[in-house]
Amino acid sequence: MHSEQAGPGVKIAAGLGLAFLHLPILLIFLYAFTTEEKSYQFPPPGLTLQWFGVAWHRADIWPPLWLSVQVAAIATAVAIILGMLIAGAMAQTRFFGRDQISLLILLPIALPGVITGMALRSAFAMMDIPFSVWTIILGHATFCIVIVYNNAVARMRRLSGGIMEASADLGANGFQTFRHVLLPNLGSALLAGGMLAFALSFDEVIVTTFTAGQQSTLPIWMLNELVRPRQRPVTNVVAIVVFAVTFLPILAAYYLTRDGDATAGAGK
Amino acid sequence: MTPAVEFNAVSRHFGTVKAVDGVDLTIAEGAFFAMLGPSGSGKTTCLRLISGFEKPTAGGIRIFGQDVGAVPPNRRNVNTVFQDYALFPHMTVRDNVAYGLMVKGVDRRSRLEKAEELLALVKLPGYGERKPGQLSGGQRQRVALARALINEPRVLLLDEPLGALDLKLREAMQDELKALQKRLGITFVFVTHDQHEALSMADSLAVFNDGRIAQIGTPEDVYSRPQTRFVADFVGSSNVLPPELTAALGGPSKWASLRPEAVRLVPMGHDGTVKTVRYLGAGSRVVLEIGGTEIAAMVPAGQPIPETGAQAAIAFDPRALHVMAE
Amino acid sequence: MLGTPAILPERGIGDRLTALFWRRPRVLLALLLIPPLVWLGVVYLGSLVALLLQSFYSIDEFSGVVKQEFTLKTYAELFRAQNLDIILRTVLMAALVTLASAIIAFPIAYYAARFARGRWKAVFYLGVMLPLWSSYLVKVYAWKLILAREGILTWIADHAGAGPLLARALDEQWFGGASLSTSPVGTFIVFVYIWMPYMILPMQAALERVPATMLEASADLGASRAQTFRSVILPLALPGIVAGSIFTFSLTLGDYIIPQIIGNSARFIGLAVYQFQGTAGNLPLAAAFAVVPIMIMLVYLGIARRMGAFDAL
Repeated sequence: MHSEQAGPGVKIAAGLGLAFLHLPILLIFLYAFTTEEKSYQFPPPGLTLQWFGVAWHRADIWPPLWLSVQVAAIATAVAIILGMLIAGAMAQTRFFGRDQISLLILLPIALPGVITGMALRSAFAMMDIPFSVWTIILGHATFCIVIVYNNAVARMRRLSGGIMEASADLGANGFQTFRHVLLPNLGSALLAGGMLAFALSFDEVIVTTFTAGQQSTLPIWMLNELVRPRQRPVTNVVAIVVFAVTFLPILAAYYLTRDGDATAGAGK
Repeated sequence: MTPAVEFNAVSRHFGTVKAVDGVDLTIAEGAFFAMLGPSGSGKTTCLRLISGFEKPTAGGIRIFGQDVGAVPPNRRNVNTVFQDYALFPHMTVRDNVAYGLMVKGVDRRSRLEKAEELLALVKLPGYGERKPGQLSGGQRQRVALARALINEPRVLLLDEPLGALDLKLREAMQDELKALQKRLGITFVFVTHDQHEALSMADSLAVFNDGRIAQIGTPEDVYSRPQTRFVADFVGSSNVLPPELTAALGGPSKWASLRPEAVRLVPMGHDGTVKTVRYLGAGSRVVLEIGGTEIAAMVPAGQPIPETGAQAAIAFDPRALHVMAE
Repeated sequence: MLGTPAILPERGIGDRLTALFWRRPRVLLALLLIPPLVWLGVVYLGSLVALLLQSFYSIDEFSGVVKQEFTLKTYAELFRAQNLDIILRTVLMAALVTLASAIIAFPIAYYAARFARGRWKAVFYLGVMLPLWSSYLVKVYAWKLILAREGILTWIADHAGAGPLLARALDEQWFGGASLSTSPVGTFIVFVYIWMPYMILPMQAALERVPATMLEASADLGASRAQTFRSVILPLALPGIVAGSIFTFSLTLGDYIIPQIIGNSARFIGLAVYQFQGTAGNLPLAAAFAVVPIMIMLVYLGIARRMGAFDAL
């Protein structure tokens, strides 16, 4: 296998494939500096930094940004708690219904978002639940659980079960073992899972449009700008922010979990 | 005197698998007790029954006279040196050792002082700041030992404690453990599959087979007077004689064991054929085939050694022939 | 050292609960499972049931109010010509996107699985994971910039002397449009871009399971590269390809953002769901439309399972 070399065809095709995945995103950055605000003219007629200032002072951007942060933070917190609980249960002995539960956790991201969104929308309509921050959070937390769960359960499998027993053997009760042994060893995996869940929630638009009503998260604001553009470069500035919020967590999660199996993000 | 550990008809079944099946066992206080047996014989499960990580499906366990049927592991004053050591990877060596005192609520200064004491006891002074990942296998084992001793347990359980060490280190540790046990006076219960280890360290041992105790006694008892073929074969590498051969050699018509050291070779005889000869330095081990059974004899250095294929007879002191129950 | 008791006293509620969990491990298991199962069971499964129920309701054509009575009328509406059109267009698009994704993803997965080592392995992993996790909307937006009439692609085509070619291609009724960003081919490209990364990892995992010795054996037996690929690699990698295709197919099937932003406003299932529940206010029909991808995916998963794709997940 080591003596074998990749043929030039495979090399070129793989390189082109990766380039196809990465190059388009660079344009987002370029267009944030263009002087042309009415079209997507290429190459940009001139470059300017003014749109960052304009974006900062646009009053319609801050409330959606704040809402997105709130939703992502609460959804992530719920997902961490619920994901950790399931991981704890699943890391225990086998029990009846185990496989069904793992399917149930996976379902919200395995089915297209439109189904989850429409399902929640139907339920809210039938029970006369008005749209609010909480209806958005309800949806987000549901599909974030699996992200945290995947990271936590992978780490638990890797942990030597002996250290939990050793702790009990030395006189620690269950809560002490949790605090002094399990949590410190699980911490970075939970952090990684939490950051990925935050990123996923912060960026989510497909389910959100069905559960948000008149409220606007940052992705919904962006979607509106995409359909009816106003100052186009301002949208690019916001896009850079959203990109950073989703890009950095996956990078950080990768470094937090890389000494184990490469599980970060495998669940999306 | 109350025994340290008592098993009263204890069974631990996993579904249809009888890991431990009706075991009665008494371990005296201050004993160095070995549980010996092949893997899957139930010895480790017995250890876990004492520490509380397994619960008996039948029978009762007492520790110093108290029934522990309702006592979880954290409240048993019994500590374990785990087979893979199970050190906490995120803590320093000192914090690992001090852990037992920390969860008891002992203040930081006293517990770290005590941890240093124990590190000195296991000959690792000055290693407190390191992480377990920076230690060798032998050092980790000492840390695990110190950690298990800090709570001053009444019983110390050791699960194949020397299994991961190389031969030289293992022999050194055997002596150290023995000396440590004498000094501390704590009851040691250790699990091993190595008969030499069990015989040389324990002052009392139980031989496990298929979830049951095949024999229990002193090393001398078990080695010289095995009660079953399994024990004779597993513990002593003894010659196991089927009833017919025992009878032919002048004993009763029963299974018997005969230690190779007790067997002398008579060159002129015609009992059987020499199959193999292995030179062992202090002597040679000669295996003869007699009536379909292989009999080993230890021939001391300086005595004539027959060649492979030659005919030979054996002789032994009749008292060396040990008749077994089964 | 022998002054210590053999059994330590119980200290507080923590010890008491620990003893309870030790005596009754099922109690702990139940306590761990109940909160997440209540959440997933009520919020998620409950919603899916609501979706199903809603799809059996109908809307009063005059008042626009949902009638909460069981009827198959709404499902019958799915079979109207324009709605069937939507379904067929979506399935066709999902199939094409899946096929194109497999073709583009394969060399990446193949290289990452067979040749990349150490550092390069990490580069490939991140190279796939970063675009996969990056903001969905930002990625779609990037393509709006690229495909715009005044955008970079037109500029490149003009400078490469292919401008007239592009213009002629856009005149094709089948997939053309006023510009790439308002043409079906544009929709297709963006779908492939967004969902293709999901195919790479399962494919790579399957390829990594092909033992190198098997490939050497094939070469020893005199097979050419192409023969080895066709008769050894491809069959062994197929479960991984099918597993990856589950994602690309399913996600394309339900997407309604991309056709809204890039394309000629031809409707897809997701878009239909979105519009019926929103502006049209026809929740039952939207629900019925949402059930369609579930049904298609059930069939698809059934086939995938037969091809051994689940072992590759």
